[in-house]
Amino acid sequence: MQRREFAAYTDPLDILRRFAPAPLKAMYRIGSSRVVVRTNDFHLLPALPLEVNFGVSREQAQEWKLIRDSDTPGPLGATRLLVCGLLTVVEMGPACLLGMDHERREVVGFIGADVDARTYQEFLVPLLCRLTQESVPASPLPASANLREQSVHD
Amino acid sequence: MDDIVTVNLTFNRQTLPLRADFLIAGTRCHLSTNSHDIMQLASQRQSQTKLINTSSFEMEVLVDSSRSDCCEQATHFRGLRHIVFATLPHGSFVAFDLLRKRVHAALSPSASRDLSFWNALLLPITIGVLGTTLGVVPLHCACLDRKGKGLLVAGLSGAGKSTLAAALAQRGFAFISDDWTYLTKQQSTLVAHGLFSPIKLLPDTIRFFPRLHEFVLRKTLNGEMAYEMDPQKFLQFIVTDMSRPGHIVFLERTATRGCHLVPCRPEYVRDFFEKSAERLPDELADAKAMRTGIIHCFSACPSWMLRTGESPQRTAEAIEMFLSEAERATA
Repeated sequence: MQRREFAAYTDPLDILRRFAPAPLKAMYRIGSSRVVVRTNDFHLLPALPLEVNFGVSREQAQEWKLIRDSDTPGPLGATRLLVCGLLTVVEMGPACLLGMDHERREVVGFIGADVDARTYQEFLVPLLCRLTQESVPASPLPASANLREQSVHD
Repeated sequence: MDDIVTVNLTFNRQTLPLRADFLIAGTRCHLSTNSHDIMQLASQRQSQTKLINTSSFEMEVLVDSSRSDCCEQATHFRGLRHIVFATLPHGSFVAFDLLRKRVHAALSPSASRDLSFWNALLLPITIGVLGTTLGVVPLHCACLDRKGKGLLVAGLSGAGKSTLAAALAQRGFAFISDDWTYLTKQQSTLVAHGLFSPIKLLPDTIRFFPRLHEFVLRKTLNGEMAYEMDPQKFLQFIVTDMSRPGHIVFLERTATRGCHLVPCRPEYVRDFFEKSAERLPDELADAKAMRTGIIHCFSACPSWMLRTGESPQRTAEAIEMFLSEAERATA
């Protein structure tokens, strides 16, 4: 049985688990892209070439924030890709939910408790890499950018 | 990507050619869909709201025939930064983009035909998740209207807000909501909105409302068993979807008989609603500031702590008398 390195997280005012801590961080090279991975479980650090040039800034790199979801058991469901303009979502039932914001160049996601390291490395990491490489290059927006105008008129 | 992905759904003008606009909680929803069933559900959304704020959001609903109608699928919510995922019954899935104020829903055919899924689940969840970014503040309280003034009933979970709301509605107060009320502000006017959602009464309330024997207990969104019904159709309550907040009561049940109303300070109101509000990430700093401003304004409403050891009906009677006296005093 896989040893779980991640701590359970509960906060009654954070039912979405937005503030689940992700203290582990590493930077990788994926083709010509640089990706910073932040996670709460070291099994979710991908087996990919590490970036050795520590001079790469956040602005030059994409980011994956991946949370091991200790409260969501069960296997992966069918893989459904939702392409919604600047957002691409991968849904495999509650056990795997990924969202890629192409404009902000970031992937956020939750990986269920029962998704083992092998499934993650052999199936989900290639999928994440494809998402990253297919991402539309765009300059990142400030975090609090108000995109109302665009959402109404585009 | 095609070798990995089972189903690929694209949300755009070609795949979602049908369009409609409707009002919900004082905001405008621009709906796009591929389903005439969804258009039919949206057309039944008859808001009585005249006051709307200037915000709007896009809702894209794609009905996907490959989705299985798994009614037993539990609701599951997760979110990071500005993206929120919701897995819903009927094999449905919704992604929210809070920065761009967009909702992308992939529904099964059965969900697209289910009025209760639309009214009791999809729309309340949408406003609950997206509302704060639209200037709509979700408050965990019941709301009723009496002579054009809103009475908001707050309290901790299990305090009996829904039961008291039902008892007040029995006395002729117009029912707006029993669980979540959505507050907006247009210029200096606060408006409390409901969503025409069903009322939810817990099993032990049957002793106060014997008519509940005619209904079946069902598992609700948060997993508890309750009687859920349309308050207008099944309980003959007067139902409306908005009011201007006039009074706030914080309900507290006590073991001793009697019903006492003690004035509350605005700081108490502010603290109660601010401290029970969902934490928001830095990406939504503007929304958080707007929420704080609206709660501040709301805290100026006259408010009381209501301590009661009486039945919901007796408590409702005491509130009505209290409000009548307050009206006479200010007349």
